[in-house]
Amino acid sequence: MRIALLLGPALVVIAALFLGGVGLGLARSFNYMPIIGLDDPNLDAYAWVLTDEDFLLSFVLTFHIAFTSTVISAVLAIGAALVLRHTFVGKKVITFLFQLNLTIPHIVGAVGILYLFSQSGFFARIAYAAGAIERTSDFPALVFDPYAIGIILQYVWKEVPFIGVIVLAVLQSVGQDYEALAQSLGANRWQRFRYVLLPLIMPGVLSASVIVFAFTFGAFEIPFLLGQNHPVALPVLAYRSYTDVDLAARPEAMAMAMVITVMSGLMIYAYVRLSRRYLRAG
Amino acid sequence: MTRLNLHKLTKRYRGKTEPALDDLSLEVESGSLTALLGPSGCGKTTTMKLIAGLLEPTLGDILFDGRSILGVAPERRGAVMVFQNYLLFPYMTVAENVGFGLKMRRVDRATIDRRVAEMLELVRLPGLEDRRPKELSGGQQQRVALARALIVLPKLLLLDEPLSNLDAHLRFEMRDLIRDIQRQMGITTVFVTHDQEEAVVLADKVALIFDGRLQQYDAPTAFYETPVTRRIAAFFGGVNFFQGRRNRKQFDCAIGTFSAPRSAIADQPGILSIRPEDVRLAEAGAANSVAGRIHSHVYVGTHTRLRVSVSGGHEVCVVTDAEVMKTHKPGDPVTLRFPEEKLWVLPPDALVEPTAAHREDTRFGVTKTKGCR
Repeated sequence: MRIALLLGPALVVIAALFLGGVGLGLARSFNYMPIIGLDDPNLDAYAWVLTDEDFLLSFVLTFHIAFTSTVISAVLAIGAALVLRHTFVGKKVITFLFQLNLTIPHIVGAVGILYLFSQSGFFARIAYAAGAIERTSDFPALVFDPYAIGIILQYVWKEVPFIGVIVLAVLQSVGQDYEALAQSLGANRWQRFRYVLLPLIMPGVLSASVIVFAFTFGAFEIPFLLGQNHPVALPVLAYRSYTDVDLAARPEAMAMAMVITVMSGLMIYAYVRLSRRYLRAG
Repeated sequence: MTRLNLHKLTKRYRGKTEPALDDLSLEVESGSLTALLGPSGCGKTTTMKLIAGLLEPTLGDILFDGRSILGVAPERRGAVMVFQNYLLFPYMTVAENVGFGLKMRRVDRATIDRRVAEMLELVRLPGLEDRRPKELSGGQQQRVALARALIVLPKLLLLDEPLSNLDAHLRFEMRDLIRDIQRQMGITTVFVTHDQEEAVVLADKVALIFDGRLQQYDAPTAFYETPVTRRIAAFFGGVNFFQGRRNRKQFDCAIGTFSAPRSAIADQPGILSIRPEDVRLAEAGAANSVAGRIHSHVYVGTHTRLRVSVSGGHEVCVVTDAEVMKTHKPGDPVTLRFPEEKLWVLPPDALVEPTAAHREDTRFGVTKTKGCR
């Protein structure tokens, strides 16, 4: 009872702001809004969204962005954490620099990517000045590109330290005795990583990855700034529908938002299940 | 069956002035069970990690059957360590834990399954293959850790404080199990412990280490009967030490004159020692005896501990029959006989004032054995 009372205020805020918003969005996606006379809920918006080619293209693109960003970030973060857990000269400085990204907002990072990697950006100009390309527009399209390289670069830049810090903390709590034991039992360097270290840090990696996946799947500003015009990431598509001059498009925007939410949940569930099964099968 | 030699082994950690291990030389016979004994921080676990290859020595050599293994990677040394806290892989079943070493050697699944079953039978845990470590008791976890080490038939088995995490009942059971298995498989085994009783009961030979230096390497009985220094005697529960000197066939000391034991060197100072359990209550006027008065007595079930005040303000600690509690009380006069064959004279270098570490060892030794305090 005491716990319920203590948790009460926080739960009320969550329920009012989060669940309330989701509830209203859900009602809207079913074309249900009695206040303006829409009192006959239906699945029209979902039917439209799920059969729309743009939506499916956007879904594939968004999945690609989220999955690739998460996997690359997790791999690089594990590698970085494995290095940073050792003692070496300058470790404090390197660790500080490694974590510095955490304090920089996504939007600042996106502007940085734009300046560095766009076809009129820093690297394009250097390549042009060095005579490697004839025109700056010959520089490979890394921003506004169909493979969303700029978006993925930005996410990786930002999320590697996020996952890395979590993995580093897990590594420090695990210590080195398990590896020493495995070594004395005959495990070589790769086996110690694969069969001992990876399973031990996997709960931390999974937790962090789930957060990164959910964020990158549902984030709007980076694909909006660094993405191509067509197809666009799902949150950008939903935003466009929501701000469409045609008010009738709003239920479709809400349906998209609901689909994004459900898809995120399902994919996170699948990601966790598959990872655990893979580790157990070892 | 592997013979282990440690040759002038020294280990210095970066930033430390004193070496963790200093010039340690030791030969562990093939198929024997040897204890590395000493207080916390004395270097015994460092020694074990050096043998396993988890640390590199600063100086010295480690030899298996006469061959240096310093250049051999830890995973190929065949020296398997069982850690104090077992370190069972929490994400694996018991069978997967036990079979780990064979899997790393890419042994086929059928062989692993068969060997796992054999090992679990050996450690008396048949049928627990599918359990997870968290479903096991401390004793069961210890056995699984032991089975995991034994399955690879190590050249050398290294046990780090194997009994320290177990309660008293499980300790006895595990102690017997380790002895039985070690005898049965004949694997050369080294274990570290801070508990002298554990070392004495389990080991064929005990290497006592203080401050990174080997103090005495001997059969367990020698540490009670013929300790090399007062510090060693104190670590093993000795509390009766009286400074004196041998004069011909007598040994004169602060509390009286006794027949000189063979360990006393003529006309040399020394410390006469006798273990509390070797002192006898006797009739007044008995040979080799001293008169005193009971200062206090403590009944501890199987025996009684007496503190007896003797001449010169000294005290003699006595461990005697439990029945004495009923027949004697504080203030009663008693005569204490020191059997000649139980007297032992420690060499003059033991006359030095005990260091802080020494006092700590003494306190510790008394606490863990049948001392008077």
